[in-house]
Amino acid sequence: MNQERRAQWLRGVLDLCVLALLSRGESYGYELSQALRTYGLGTVQGGTLYPVLLRLQRAGLLTAHWREGETGPARKYYRISPAGSAALHAAVIDWSAFTASVGAILSEEPKR
Amino acid sequence: MKDNAWLAALTGELRRHGVGPDLTGHVVAEAATHLAESGESPLRVFGPPEVYARAVADSLGGPDVRPPRRHPGPVRLAARGITKRYRGQTVLDRIDLTVRAGQIAAVVGANGAGKSTFLRICAGLLSPDAGTVQVHGALGYCPQDGGTAEFLDPDEHFVLIGAGRGLGRATARRAGRAGAAALDWTPPRTQARHLSGGTRQKLNLVLARLGEPDVLLLDEPYQGFDRGTYLDFWHEVWRWRDAGKAIVVVTHLLNQLDRVDIVLDLTASQERTA
Repeated sequence: MNQERRAQWLRGVLDLCVLALLSRGESYGYELSQALRTYGLGTVQGGTLYPVLLRLQRAGLLTAHWREGETGPARKYYRISPAGSAALHAAVIDWSAFTASVGAILSEEPKR
Repeated sequence: MKDNAWLAALTGELRRHGVGPDLTGHVVAEAATHLAESGESPLRVFGPPEVYARAVADSLGGPDVRPPRRHPGPVRLAARGITKRYRGQTVLDRIDLTVRAGQIAAVVGANGAGKSTFLRICAGLLSPDAGTVQVHGALGYCPQDGGTAEFLDPDEHFVLIGAGRGLGRATARRAGRAGAAALDWTPPRTQARHLSGGTRQKLNLVLARLGEPDVLLLDEPYQGFDRGTYLDFWHEVWRWRDAGKAIVVVTHLLNQLDRVDIVLDLTASQERTA
């Protein structure tokens, strides 16, 4: 995929992807970046991911706390808040409508 | 080891960008965790420290901590009805400015609006055609350029200017170096004429502060500063304000005006006379 376009698209939906991943359970930055890769979004670098997490936390859509791991360093775990769940729910509906419109335009057969 | 240097630089950059100490601790620790788990290079994951710090600051939607607004203290500088004419042209027309201890006044206006002239009058370097200036306390002045002696190195400047303000050699040198460190600058043993414009301005700024004067008049002192030093400069200004100094800054950069106490716009006064 065109890297520049992918990055452009991602900017618009990364916060929603993060909210959606966290709606399935708490997680931390490194794990989230790997999950995004697993879903085929490629590498989302920390320099992009953490400011998004911070913004969501500031907006009250996420809560965060530090926890010592069994092994390795302490991690900052994020959890979706009720406000975050509500925002995600609304955004999912909007996103479906938006992608349906774009899909309809892009998939229409050209006129002969 | 490379990670630690990057993390240390990030800590400094976050401070420069107005991120508070608590949040800085969280952001740096989180980055350290990520680097330890991914085993990747910090530059690859986060980019240069200053770029990542700016992204963090931007995601906060503004400075994390604003300096607490304190009750301003006694009047330190009172300029009343300052008028100055050059060759029949009225440059300053009955300008008033009162600055109290613990306040920052920004003097703004287009080129030629008389900003530097006004500051020189406040500093007592120039006589107004009408009006009075009262200064209560010791005064420090940082000119837009000049102000340094070509054949003296920074330490010699500290000693010379310090002597004029009653500081001994060692005290003056120590105070000068401390002021320089706050601007992330280590004064070299180099004569001023060999220093870059931005570095000479750092020296000027440190000199204006020697002896902790009560009133500081700064005439666009950040010219030639890189962005990091520019941010350091404003942090210092806010710190001086919180320490009860009265500060007047001539500036044409308006993006700091929400964090000063008084704005004196000289453009308006000139257009009034035109």
